[in-house]
Amino acid sequence: MKIVAPISRVEETAPMIRAGADELYCGIVPADWTERFRSSGVNRRAFGNLGRYEDLAEVVRIAADLGASISLVMNAQHYTEPQIAALGELAERFAAMGGHALIVGDLGLLAQLAGRDLPLRLHASSLLACRNTETAALLGELGAGRVVFPRDVTLAEMAAIAAANAALEFEAFVLNDGCVFEEGNCHTIHLPGHLGGPICLDRYTVDHARVDGRALGADESAALADNDAAHDQWLWYRFSCGFAVTEAGYPFGPCGLCAVPSLAAGRIGAVKIAGREGAMERKLKSVEMVRATLDRLDRPAGDLTGFARAIRGRLDLCATGHMCYYRDAMPGGRSLSRGGDDCIRAEKAPRI
Amino acid sequence: MTAIATAIALGLVESRSLDLLLAGGAPEVAACADALGWPEVPPGLGDAAIDRVHLGSEFCETLLPGAGQLRHALDRCGAAGLGLALVTPILSDAGLARLSPLLALLPAAAEVVANDWGTLRLLRRTRPDLIAVAGRLLCKMIKDPRLPSPEWARLYPHGLHSAPFSALLERLGAGRVEMDVPPFAEPRDFRFPTVKVSVHAPYGFSVKGRSCRIGSLAQPSPAKFTAGQDCRRECLIYGSGLSRPDTGAADLPGFQRGNTQFYRHSAPMRATVAEAMAAGWVDRLVLSGDWHENRRPH
Repeated sequence: MKIVAPISRVEETAPMIRAGADELYCGIVPADWTERFRSSGVNRRAFGNLGRYEDLAEVVRIAADLGASISLVMNAQHYTEPQIAALGELAERFAAMGGHALIVGDLGLLAQLAGRDLPLRLHASSLLACRNTETAALLGELGAGRVVFPRDVTLAEMAAIAAANAALEFEAFVLNDGCVFEEGNCHTIHLPGHLGGPICLDRYTVDHARVDGRALGADESAALADNDAAHDQWLWYRFSCGFAVTEAGYPFGPCGLCAVPSLAAGRIGAVKIAGREGAMERKLKSVEMVRATLDRLDRPAGDLTGFARAIRGRLDLCATGHMCYYRDAMPGGRSLSRGGDDCIRAEKAPRI
Repeated sequence: MTAIATAIALGLVESRSLDLLLAGGAPEVAACADALGWPEVPPGLGDAAIDRVHLGSEFCETLLPGAGQLRHALDRCGAAGLGLALVTPILSDAGLARLSPLLALLPAAAEVVANDWGTLRLLRRTRPDLIAVAGRLLCKMIKDPRLPSPEWARLYPHGLHSAPFSALLERLGAGRVEMDVPPFAEPRDFRFPTVKVSVHAPYGFSVKGRSCRIGSLAQPSPAKFTAGQDCRRECLIYGSGLSRPDTGAADLPGFQRGNTQFYRHSAPMRATVAEAMAAGWVDRLVLSGDWHENRRPH
């Protein structure tokens, strides 16, 4: 199973590979694109991108020297026709550098790139929201060699889709960045903080009401308030437990480490660490965690899952299930009976 | 009755209101507004007649109609002389398995609004005699109700008019698309070279999840907010207004139903749609029937 990890600067390339990443992915917003389109929208993120073709070539060279590969993201959800043509040219340039793969978020672009017959693999981004076997088959027909599953797919669903599409590789999220909504069906912008930031972090006032016009009963109001409080708590976990890290620097938040045996059994060949815009230290620590987990893949499954759940030294946070990408990997699945305050805190984290 | 060139479809998540709505044949928009408790009658459309019904949810597979609901809708719409489209959301394999027997109930040339690329492939493969429509979840564009100016939307222009998107629709046999009206829309946004265009009104959706906040209401803590979670269809009982009162921002009015956040069209957005309709670029409006922001008694 390969580790797919993000970089946003040339300097991150070698340390990330040495930490255990097999494939790195990055974005680029070159000056000629910005000048032509008056936008940084080469990919999904305005920030965390390389800025020069020379930097991209250097990243590819370093990775090749260290036995790893580079994938370039073209994962905006939509592009205009002139942009698609420009991305085709960028793809050719990337291929000439020795790049490995393109991660594509627009279905029309995917088909266009496949038609260019470049020496690059095409990975269907999670933005393409592959939730069923038919979609995976279509992505394969359009030229994808790998499908990146979106976050909100269960282990059983992924395994069934992978089994039905034997010619395709599959990749699943394993750490960091927990979109509250479906990334592939989010049509908002991560606005600057003073305008509200990402919509899932924005401070909305929510005013519940019955749609039949009747007033909410006291019990209903109380249940809705409890549910809102639980939702706020879930958001805290979803956003890395207040964007926190352990004393050792390991990030809290969305995680699929203990699901690795199930992912492997389900023919998921690569696991993705999200967070291109994050700090290098966070990325490195993330790779360390995943590498240490994968290195235990040949041990009995219980050993690995126990290791993964204890890795942050906070079994109490882990046991809530709210950090899980794949809640069905937890003991009891989505019917967990324990969580939060009644869980036991680990005395100390295992040694990596 | 007003004669307009644009057909009017009534979107319904459930079929239960059809007996009342269609008792006298094809209803006018004002009658639908009254029966379904809309906050207002869409300006200029009050005496326009409903031409067709779109049954189902675009946003959650839990709300995929059962066979009984679909048969009921087929009977009622057939008797009233109305067309019927089956509306489908993004689907898991389990959802696709539930869809297949529904497709078997549909007569040839019935419409299916697909909001999942895999559903379009399934239709092409198994029921090419049905009319496939690419739903608004497949017509991607920036629809952030908080955008302070059109410059923000231009950062990520949509590619709905591009040749690759047209080729994709042709490949999958979709001759019609359904669109939302994005903030700061222009009439030309609705001008397509090769396919027919339906536009949803008076609400657009900006973001949806798979896990569901209101659907978690009756679930125990560990089972809340999960992929493929159980629910009691609380979205059919509750709606939630969304606001940012502390920001002073001129957001489009918003609300949440189920797993999805919606915004209400502004007057300039309505005017843009009217202009696109007058130009002949939009030949169908899809009005939100039983899935709206109203909280008045009805």
